[in-house]
Parts: sequence; C-alpha cells; structure tokens
Amino acid sequence: MTSSDRPRPPFDRRQFLLRSSALGAAGLSLPAILAACGGDDDEDASTGAAGGTSETTGATSAGTGGASTPGGGGGDELFFENWPEYIDPTEDGLTGTADRFIEASGVQLRYTDAFNDNNEYFALIQPQLGTGGTIEPDIIAPTSWLAGRLISLGWVDKLPVDQVPNATNLRADLRQPSWDPTGEYSLPWQTGITGIAYNLDATGRELASVEELFDPAFRGRIGMLSEMRDTIGLIMLGLGADPASITSFDDAAAAFEQLVAAKADGQIRAFTGNDYLDDLSTGNFAACIGWSGDVVQLARDNPAVRFVIPEEGGMSWADTMVMPKGAVNRDAAAKWMDYVYDPVQAAQITAWVQFVSPVTGVQEEVAKLDAELAESPLLFPDEETLSRLHSFANLEEDVEAEFDAAFSDIIGA
Amino acid sequence: MSTVGVERGGDPARSSTHRDELVGLVALIAAGVLITAVGMRLLTGPLATLAVAGLLAIVATLIVMAIAGGPQARRRLAPYGLLKPGILWLALFYLAPLFALARESLSTLPSRFAVEAEFDWNTGNYAQAFSDFGPQFTRGFVYAAVATALCIAIGYPLAYVIAFRGGRWRNLLLGLVVVPFFTSYLIRTIAWSSLLADSGPIVGAIDGLRLTSVFEALQIMDNDRLINTPAAVIGGLTYNFLPFMILPIYVSLEKINPALVDAAKDLYSPAPSAFRRIVLPLSLPGVFAGTLLTFIPAAGDFINAEYLGNPNTTMIGNSIQDQFLVQNDRPLAAAMSFVLMAVITVAVFFYTKFLGTEELS
Repeated sequence: MTSSDRPRPPFDRRQFLLRSSALGAAGLSLPAILAACGGDDDEDASTGAAGGTSETTGATSAGTGGASTPGGGGGDELFFENWPEYIDPTEDGLTGTADRFIEASGVQLRYTDAFNDNNEYFALIQPQLGTGGTIEPDIIAPTSWLAGRLISLGWVDKLPVDQVPNATNLRADLRQPSWDPTGEYSLPWQTGITGIAYNLDATGRELASVEELFDPAFRGRIGMLSEMRDTIGLIMLGLGADPASITSFDDAAAAFEQLVAAKADGQIRAFTGNDYLDDLSTGNFAACIGWSGDVVQLARDNPAVRFVIPEEGGMSWADTMVMPKGAVNRDAAAKWMDYVYDPVQAAQITAWVQFVSPVTGVQEEVAKLDAELAESPLLFPDEETLSRLHSFANLEEDVEAEFDAAFSDIIGA
Repeated sequence: MSTVGVERGGDPARSSTHRDELVGLVALIAAGVLITAVGMRLLTGPLATLAVAGLLAIVATLIVMAIAGGPQARRRLAPYGLLKPGILWLALFYLAPLFALARESLSTLPSRFAVEAEFDWNTGNYAQAFSDFGPQFTRGFVYAAVATALCIAIGYPLAYVIAFRGGRWRNLLLGLVVVPFFTSYLIRTIAWSSLLADSGPIVGAIDGLRLTSVFEALQIMDNDRLINTPAAVIGGLTYNFLPFMILPIYVSLEKINPALVDAAKDLYSPAPSAFRRIVLPLSLPGVFAGTLLTFIPAAGDFINAEYLGNPNTTMIGNSIQDQFLVQNDRPLAAAMSFVLMAVITVAVFFYTKFLGTEELS
C-alpha cells in the first residue's frame, strides 16, 4: 500500500476535496451573518413580508379616482404601514375601511401590516431616519412610547392637524397625551387593553389573576410579549405595584426578578410580538399576555380562547399614527385621518378589530351594527373597567435605557 | 509562482522573467487592495471613482504589456491575469465585509440611537461578548456538536446502504436525500414546529402509545410537550444539516472498490472486521468533510432555536441576530460574530490537526 515510490503531486485529489470542503464549510457560517447585515438598507422587505390578506392597493379603484382629488401636490397616493389584523378587511360582502376610503377620496391607498414588534420596527427604520434619509410609508403606527421617542429624536414631521376637522371627535384624554404634549406630531389609531389571554382547552380552567401565569402546572406553556411595557406592567400589577408611578429601575426590580425566575424555571415558552395568536389558538400557549381586540377577534373563530382583565388590573395603551420625516403625501394623509375619525367609519373599524376606539360617538354607531357588541366593556370600558386599567409611566431616557437593557437580556438571551 | 519557475532553465532573459512576475504580482495586490478599500467605503465619492479608474488602468496596463511583450511575457503574466477575477471577487465580497466588520467590532456607538458607530479601538465589545453571552456560545457549540454526532449516526448507515446496496435505485435514493432542498429552509423548520406542536400528530401518537413518561425520562419531552425544548432544537439542526453529512460520506464510500472487501473476506476476515479495517478508514475523509459541513453552519444557526426553541435554548446565532436587527448594537454584534468565527476556526484547526485524515492517502 505504499505510494512513496511514485512522484507525489503537491496536492492529491482527496486532499484537495478535503481542503476545499473545509473552506466551503467555513464560508457557510457567514451567510447568516451577512443576511443579518443586509436587512436594514432594504426596508421594502418589511412591506413585502406583510400578509396579503389585508393589503389593499389603489389599483382596485383606479377608475374612481382622478376627478375627486382637488388637493394635488402628491395628494392622491398614500402608504400606511400598520399592525396586522388592525383594520376591517373587504370580506363577506362588506367593503373594508381602506377600500371605502379609496372609493370616497380617490386616494390610492397602499395599506400594509408589517408591524410585529415596536423594537424590531424601530431597528428597521433607524438606519434611514437616523442618517437623515426617508422611508417609504407616509404614516406608520408606533405605540405611544415609540411615538414619543421618534418625536424627541426629531424623526417625525408635524401632522397636518388643521386639515383634520374630525380630530375634534377624539377622546379628551388623547388630545394632548403625555408622549406628545403639544398634540402636533401624533394622532391615535386605536387604544386597547393588555390582559391575560388563555385557551380553555389547554388550561382546563378559567383564569383570573396574573399570578396564575406563574402556576407550575403551566410550565413551558406560557407566552409573554416582547413589548416591555405590557409584560413588565402586567407583572408589576400582579405584584401590587403601579406601573404608572415608576421613576427608577428599582420600582420595577421585583417584576424583573419574577420574570427572570420564571424564565429560568422554564415557565415561559416564548416571548412574542403580535405573532402570539397562532400559538394561543393551537393551545401551544395555555395562557399568555395578550391584547384585547386581537384575542376577542380570535375568539370569534375559536370559542376556547378567552381574554380577561386580571383581577389585579390590566394595562391600557395607545397606538398612534405619525408621519416619518420627509413623508410626501401630507394632503392624502390628512384625508385619511379625517376619514377614520368620522364616527360612522370608526365604528366599522371598531366592530371588526374590537379594540377601544379613540373616537367619541362610536358606541352609538356600533350599536346600530351590533347591539350586543356595543355593550362590551372591552370595547367601551365603563367606569368600573376604567378604574382597573393602568398606564405605564413615561420613562426618562436613561431610565428607559436601563429597562430596555434588562428586558432585552431576558427575552433575547 | 513555482509553476512559472519551471520556465527558467536556460532562459537568457532571466531578469525580464523576474520583472514580469513582479509586475503581475504587484498589479494583483494593488487591484485587490483598491477594491477592498472601495468595498469597505474607506474611499468614497471622487476617491472611489479614482480607485475604480486606477483598477481599470492596472488591468489595461497588464493587457497592453501582454500584447506588447510577446509570447514569453504573455505566458508569464497569464497566471496573474487568470487569478484576477477570483481575487477581486474575494476582495470585494469577502475581505471588504470582513474588514468592515472587524472595524465595526472595535467601534463605539456615540449615543443610544446612533446609527453610525465611531471607530476608536474599543475592545470592550469583545469583553462584553464574552461576559454577557457565555451561555449562548456554549449552547451554540454543544447543540451543534450533538447534532453533528446524530448526523453521523443517521447519515453514515444511510450513505452506506445507498453506496453498497443501492443498486439501480442509487440515483433515486440520492435524489430523495436532496429533495428537501427544493423547499426553503425556513419553511421546513416552521413545518416541524407544526408537526411537533402540542396538539400535533407526533405528540398525539406518543400520547396514544402511553410513551409520554418514557420520553420525559429521556428528557426529550418536558411537561407533555416536544416543541420549544432543547431536544426539538437539536432535532431541527440534525434534520436540516443531515444531507450535508450524507453526501460527502456517500462520495467517499462510493469510491471504495468492492473488490477490497471481497479480498478481505477471501482472507477469512469476518464482515465486521472487514468493515472496521477497510471500509471505515477509507470513508473517514467523507465523515471529516461532512462534520465540517454540518458543525460549522449549525454552530451559527439561529432559525432552529428561533422556531423550535424556548427562551432558555437560544444559541449564539440568535443573540447575534438580536443585537444586529433588534437592539441595533452593531459593534457588539460584530464582536460576537468575530468571537464565533475565531472559536470555529480554532476548533476546526485542532480537529484537522488531530483528527484529520490526510495521512490516510
């Protein structure tokens, strides 16, 4: 078996194969990292990823446009990037709000649902807006705290509020909110309640308390939100603390400790964005922290799914509409905002998304559509319900940084 | 260089050989450096245009030299000319990103929401990568190692059967090994998350066979669930990288002359001994290549842990992805990537050194 008597080539075939495959393998670990680098300068990917179900383009009503657009100045196109399942779609013989708006105004509205998580979305737009660039959407829907951050960073334009007469229909508590004290930069899209969602088939019992999320019987079957203010806020309420009065990290330290311990015990199956609904519906999550309207929507199809405002209290929040710096279609944006603040139109949205409308007078309009729905305290919180809802404090920047770092350590690591 | 040197014997114009080689080499290096600098955006605006113009000038000069210099010069310059496309490609798409990443890993973000990091030799990112992400590094390597071992255990017998017992079905069987690649990696992993779901068919079957307690004892199941456990992550890695193990093993098995095994039997070797002393050693290069092809990408994978894991099974790939895309702390993410690359390189080096099979040939 010796081969020493033959002249030995510097590289025989086997060695070549070996070496080249080693090189090739070394290269294989790179694509993941490179793919990670590539995402940011391609914000179109976000819109591409949006589910097709609720996407509406102006193309469907191209014929009805034109004549009814006196505004000009780029006023007949609009791009609104929103959260999933957050507007009534055109289905079952009903025309969705986006399509009704297109028909009524002639604006070619492009509506996508690319939001899954505020932090992810912020990371997506940061490279553009942070370097003086622009992004494609004219209106985006950050949650109030992110809207506040965008406002303080100067990454959003003032809204054409004077062209939105229906803004007078807004609830008084949303006119000059804490995240936008002058009320010039943001207008609300929907508000809602964070509470406990559970799948009765998987839990085998009704849930009523935040503490039950930590019940060892549900080890590995609990979902929590990657939204820090919802998860930490609800845990704080469970511990008897008020998230509205946070001034320093110490105020929430106990909640963080409880979360860390639960994670270490394997109690938590996943931290999710808006994508918790599938796991809840299939029963992978026995229970999770969820958003009222989402869960009530889901419960229409799956009666085992329930939503409850915990006895310790629930969190209230608001999602906003802001215009990123340099957004061009201001007239069309004003038309859209004015349209959705008309109680008749707002009622259509509310009846489908089942969140708490920012518009007054919606309850009466919803009553005409569905009398039972108009009585639901999850859509129209009564005094008793409102008294059980809490908001998360407006954090100082350095305190927020501390919260974010601690929270991302828990969920990302 | 040495191949060109063959020409030297009795060449009267020996100095011109040297000159041509030197010119070719310098031109190659200069072009590589220029394009790397452009790729790293060290040169921007007019400077970048200038650099590209310089690059074209170098190429043009070489072509002119080759045309003007006659057949001898052409022959000497040819290897450098042939290397150029490959070198430039590597410089632009491998070296430039690598250096840019290295630079980023030594930078500091001036403020919390800053986009551009400032380069200041900040080695703190590396310290933080080690101090904050130790468990993720460990998990990444342990999961990848277990998955690689499972791939060998599953892939070797399969490759053996295809190579020696496949007969006329051989190509079909090989085709079946590759078929999963027609579907996206992501889709296949998400499909597993449905299959393994609590209400899914596999948990249902285990439940129906009353085997739940067995699986729990084996630590494969946890509180009646298969998915979102370490076992599911390792299983996903094994499934996804199995073809990368089967194919190289098959290639090395397929080259073995069956007459060698027959000869061993003629010499009264029992079948297991023939396998151990002939087939196994000859197939080790395939196992070696398969191990690298499986372990290296598996160690950096984040898809399986994302869809099949839980918050306690995150691998280093998940942490890097999170730092890059969600936290937007690129310097830290870059440092973590470099640590990952360094550890893999060292591991592969030692693996090659001590377990490599080059001596077998």
